[in-house]
Amino acid sequence: MMSATIEQIREAISRTREARERVWQHRTTDAVITALAQAAKNWLDPKSPWRKRAAEQATTPTGFSEAMVNEAIDLTFGAITYESLGELLDRELGNRRVLDEFCLRGRVQTRAMAPRLIVHFLAGNVPMPGIVSICGGLLLRSANLVKMSTRDPVFPALFLESVREVDAELADCAATLDWPRGELALTQAAVGDADAVIAYGDDHTISALRQLAPPTAKFTGYGHKISFAVIAKEAMTEENLPQLAQAAAFDASVYDQQGCLSPHVFYVEERGQFGPRKFAAALADAMAAYQTRVPRGQLSVEEAAQVVKFRTGYEFAAASDRRLGVWASPTGNDYAVIYDDSPAFVPSCLNRIVFVKPTDGYKRVLDAIQRFASSVSTVGVAPMNERALAFASDLARMGVHRICPIGQMQRPPLSWHHDGRPNLADLVNWTDLG
Amino acid sequence: MDQAALDLEHRILALMARGMVQPTTDEEFDRLAREVFAFQYERCGPYRAYCDRVKLTPQNVAHWKQIPAVPTSAFKNFGLTSFPVGEAVAEFHTSGTTREKAGKQYLRTLELYEAAIRPNFAAHLVPDNARLTMMILMPSPHEAPHSSLSHMMGVVAREFGTQNSEFYVEDGVLHVERVVRDLSEAQVAHQPVFLLGTAFAFVHLLDHLARQGLKFEISPGSRVMETGGFKGRSREMPKAELYGLIERLIGIPKTRIINEYGMTELSTQFYDGSLQVDRQTDGKAAPPWARVVIIDPNTGREAAQNEHGLIRVYDLANMWSIMCIQTEDLGVTRVDDSASGTDSFEVLGRAAGAEVRGCSLTAEDLKTS
Repeated sequence: MMSATIEQIREAISRTREARERVWQHRTTDAVITALAQAAKNWLDPKSPWRKRAAEQATTPTGFSEAMVNEAIDLTFGAITYESLGELLDRELGNRRVLDEFCLRGRVQTRAMAPRLIVHFLAGNVPMPGIVSICGGLLLRSANLVKMSTRDPVFPALFLESVREVDAELADCAATLDWPRGELALTQAAVGDADAVIAYGDDHTISALRQLAPPTAKFTGYGHKISFAVIAKEAMTEENLPQLAQAAAFDASVYDQQGCLSPHVFYVEERGQFGPRKFAAALADAMAAYQTRVPRGQLSVEEAAQVVKFRTGYEFAAASDRRLGVWASPTGNDYAVIYDDSPAFVPSCLNRIVFVKPTDGYKRVLDAIQRFASSVSTVGVAPMNERALAFASDLARMGVHRICPIGQMQRPPLSWHHDGRPNLADLVNWTDLG
Repeated sequence: MDQAALDLEHRILALMARGMVQPTTDEEFDRLAREVFAFQYERCGPYRAYCDRVKLTPQNVAHWKQIPAVPTSAFKNFGLTSFPVGEAVAEFHTSGTTREKAGKQYLRTLELYEAAIRPNFAAHLVPDNARLTMMILMPSPHEAPHSSLSHMMGVVAREFGTQNSEFYVEDGVLHVERVVRDLSEAQVAHQPVFLLGTAFAFVHLLDHLARQGLKFEISPGSRVMETGGFKGRSREMPKAELYGLIERLIGIPKTRIINEYGMTELSTQFYDGSLQVDRQTDGKAAPPWARVVIIDPNTGREAAQNEHGLIRVYDLANMWSIMCIQTEDLGVTRVDDSASGTDSFEVLGRAAGAEVRGCSLTAEDLKTS
């Protein structure tokens, strides 16, 4: 890792702040939206040079296969469009133009003032949150210092280069750097003047950063989360099963199941046309198909050992215990679906190892997840009908932040409430006139 | 008990009685191992079901390396015996955390178990035939009847220790003051001692010595056997640091500290070779009645030399339960550079909780939340 020095951090801060002053005066929000959308679009072309460079550079640090890197590009940049960026601002701030001028709001006018300097601490190997964080910071026309994750030192830097190609001055408002997490002096230099800090990582990292951030800075922390899905009996029909399994396999396999939106468990309601075991078998087939198209990435010895431990443990038990079933990749350790009769929620060891459990209804699922509901990010459901709506209300009461159709778990809209909070609205201050 | 079983046990005992010096040839080991495999396949229901599932049975397995391995986790959920459980003379439990179920190993006879312990221990820990006072930082077998480690300590104290050998853990507490008192007496009398304990117990003792400002320079000839990790305990200490502290505060040099690798699910132990006369090495070698293979977890096949993988043990002494055990520990084989030229292996530690690459919570996170 090329570690930044204190001088480089300070220089990046002053450089981006200078650029920000110019851009803030000479760019409208609409121009920024246009530029970002164009940069994103430039990634989507199958022959895009950005795609090519990412495919070359990102596989090693992220551990993902080249096909998964491409999948990540499609998911990330497919979500960033003129419409979605505009919608994000309109929804969160009421009117995208409040960043440019006073706009009428009720009886008075108001405008939004963005933080001068946002410091982003990225983490993990899933590219999307970091890219979206940078887009948010640029939309606000703030200066952005971005500390990259050791697991992905590629996407943020490449993205900024692609923005530079479209609008160099806008790109000047952000700088990507890297330094070892343990170097306190460097982190302190980075956050010392921050008006806002956006931190990704585990709880320990986030609380440490919270301590270091100036008390006056706005602080947003996105910790690790867990996700799962529930399939109601209405969805378990012969007609529906193949596409349901395909959608479920996608949600469970993308990012090799390492993201906070990745389901660990599929609860399947009994007494549908088909039972949970049938779903498990169908899911395994669909995961095999996905594996062929988008192979699981390289695992370290420790990670692979975890997978083996899980798989063999359940395979051994399933040979004698009718309450268990295992559908695993015939060669290698690429994926496995484990059917387990017990309703207790069991987290997966990740890397495409998924549990399928039977349930007799939504209520039982609520009981199973109650003790860690505050750690849940997304619950995928099928189908989205009235019953699901009632379930969603119960989940909301428990503190779950997102319920969506299976197949969409890994595709939150830009304007979603990430961990229950707006993405940008928390960062701005308002000035009222009248 | 039938004649076929007795006969097989007898032949394994005979192999152990030949001692440690002569290794078994691959052919000899292969014959016995596949016989034990057939024996266990016939008599252990859950194992047979698993072998059928993975389609590796005595009918088609051509070499001992193909014999299906049972994960240690299976011992928590199944009674894995090749004899009726009711006939067990001893039952050992794994020590995991209180939240987890304990794994269970049942013994049909103590004879095989203890025959596996003695020559191996002798060759690695007392190659000079020294009979030392053993100071054992563990509960006695009487206090912990389900601890295979305590049972083993009872056996070696009887066989190799003086009458004054003692166990220093009572009611779950290590009596450090008594250890200190006995170490002082030994030092004054210029008597070497043999300290045996879990790494955790040694840390506890050393913390006490450091706090009290105590230091010993125990007589040469003294030695240490340490074992186990820090499973679930709060204070972990790297091996180099632990050995350094033992050397500094007790006076036993690192070269006389031997690590023991064993587990409840196995009958055989594995020791560092550093005290041995003819093959001094830090690595561990299997005794003639066992084999250790490192498995690449990505392919399921044997790992290359110097490549990390999962430790798989083939232990003939486990005839009455399961011979082929897949551990959860990472290890690596190294070519032994001593005269005998056989491979040795290193234990790298538990393959637990790999660093999470993404932003998903793991089982470990949820346990503590």
